[in-house]
Amino acid sequence: MSKQLVISVMSKDRPGIIADIATVIFELGGDLADLNQSVLGGYFSMILIVEFDDGITPEDLLAGFSHIQSETKIEANIKVMEDSLETEKNKLPLETYIVTAQGENRKGLVKIMGDFFYSKHINVLDLVTTRDADLYTMIFQIDLSHISSLKDLRQEFELLADKENMELVLQHNDIFMATNEVGTQLMSSIEN
Amino acid sequence: MLRSDQIMGTVEMVQKENLDVRTVTMGINLLDCRAGTVKKTCKGVEKKINHYANNFVQKCDEIALKYGIPVVNKRISVTPAAMVGAGFEASDFVLLAKSLDKAAAKAGIDILGGFTAHVEKGMTKSDKAFINAIPEALKTTKRLCSSINIASSQKGINMDAVAMMGETIKNLAIETAESGGFGAAKFVVFCNQPGDNPFMAGAIHGVEEADVVLNVGVSGPGVIARSLRKIIKKKGRENLKLDDIAEEIKQITFRVTRCGELIGRQVSKELEVEFGVVDLSLAPTPKIGDSVGEILQILGVDDVGAPGSTAIVAMLNDAVKKGGIFASKAVGGLSGAFIPVMEDAVLADAVGKGALSLEKLEAMTCVCSVGLDMVPIPGDVSAATISAIIADEMAIGMVNNKTTAVRLIPVPGKKAGEIVSFGGLFGESPIMEVRNVNKSDRFVAWGGRIPAPIHSFKN
Repeated sequence: MSKQLVISVMSKDRPGIIADIATVIFELGGDLADLNQSVLGGYFSMILIVEFDDGITPEDLLAGFSHIQSETKIEANIKVMEDSLETEKNKLPLETYIVTAQGENRKGLVKIMGDFFYSKHINVLDLVTTRDADLYTMIFQIDLSHISSLKDLRQEFELLADKENMELVLQHNDIFMATNEVGTQLMSSIEN
Repeated sequence: MLRSDQIMGTVEMVQKENLDVRTVTMGINLLDCRAGTVKKTCKGVEKKINHYANNFVQKCDEIALKYGIPVVNKRISVTPAAMVGAGFEASDFVLLAKSLDKAAAKAGIDILGGFTAHVEKGMTKSDKAFINAIPEALKTTKRLCSSINIASSQKGINMDAVAMMGETIKNLAIETAESGGFGAAKFVVFCNQPGDNPFMAGAIHGVEEADVVLNVGVSGPGVIARSLRKIIKKKGRENLKLDDIAEEIKQITFRVTRCGELIGRQVSKELEVEFGVVDLSLAPTPKIGDSVGEILQILGVDDVGAPGSTAIVAMLNDAVKKGGIFASKAVGGLSGAFIPVMEDAVLADAVGKGALSLEKLEAMTCVCSVGLDMVPIPGDVSAATISAIIADEMAIGMVNNKTTAVRLIPVPGKKAGEIVSFGGLFGESPIMEVRNVNKSDRFVAWGGRIPAPIHSFKN
């Protein structure tokens, strides 16, 4: 029997973090299923899904990480996955949209958008934000599968943009894929 | 998710550069509508168009809303009507025209193309009746567009038809004199007319096509113009060469084409209709900022028509093709840059300044699609002179294995330099001077055929 663990790792960035973590996983017999890594403001963060034999516990992994010889401490959180990872679940929903929101930088911009999505029961699949001088940009990837009227939602976006003095644009994810990617994911909604 | 800069680049293209899908055109085969009587044929035509197109506009609007990309025009093209009504008298063809117009109105379509005949090698009695019906047909309908293919690289130029075209255009203008000869703006003469062109007035549903097909025309020249301005501002003119500019046009065209294909295929899927082609043509509109002429100015000629204009159009046309052809599973139609005088405010302005002459425009058509398009000329230019202009343009298409077309409007009662305006997408322009009038009558009077060029014999 095997199980899947979801591992979240954070550390001050330096060369060799991926090698260190992968070594611990390999030595415990882990099989990497999925991984997402980024560096933000000089801090390294990574989330992984790894399949282990039933005998391996989160504590075994934490012990392995704690033995990594480094000046920078590696912090990790580990959970046993309740549902096993299914490839189908990794596919984006057909009604995946991108919302770009730009406005003069001030406190609470992400909260405004987060509250709006929450009030509509809209799930955020991915989020990236950047600040360039006084301009704050948020890019949300959202699932609108359960939205019954796109027309109404667009109108509500317009009202929100006026109220919060932001520029909000809602476009289907396929438009971005079509105009930027050459590959199999293009026009997923047509091929499905 | 894609990188932030890719996402913001696309958002800018859609929101600030006004990316749209210029046209989705539904091609419908009408050959199976032929029946024992004219009345039954007309009824069959109306029934078939309404069957396939009754929710066409609605579906286009729904997909546009879903993707946030406007579909500007929704049109219908049909099998050349001369074939549908083969054997009809001229008055019967007028009835067929009215039925097509009625069906278009019922489907909520503003323009329907395909009141067409193909006579590049010869004309039947029925073809002649059809051509004679054109002035009345276009005068008594609102949405119908007509075209005649009178030449091809394979068959040569039908000079008997060329002579008839001059007369037809004159009659069309005279029949619609109260609207400045607007009837002639809905009539185009072709060499190598494609059967999958989604753009009007020359759209038809070729006989080689499936029963019902959707073809798409991509966004206009405005996106490219704004993108070129942006790159020149960002990188500095002194740091760019023309090959960099060509590369930028290719990349933008790639993105624009992908977008058009995505929308077209979605509409096609929703309507359960076969997807045909993406036409890469840059079709300008009279709207400010939606001009091919503006691209020429950005690339270095102060007025369209100045030396260098032809070279720029050649580069533009080539870059558009190269960028678009990889982006789409199937490219077709005309696929190039249009230079329709009345529909492009910068071109019309150049005519007013005397910078753009008919001869220079003709030279530019050697390297672009389509031809002498939407050119208003003085109303007193003779039919024979118009025919001779058409013959020249047909020769360019025939020898270069490309589509060329002529849409001349001899504006009744007006002279060169006076303004004619049709409004909306048809635009306005000063009337272009035609030099050397009445000097080609003996040539046009020959009739017969100009044989196909030697390089067309490839079997």
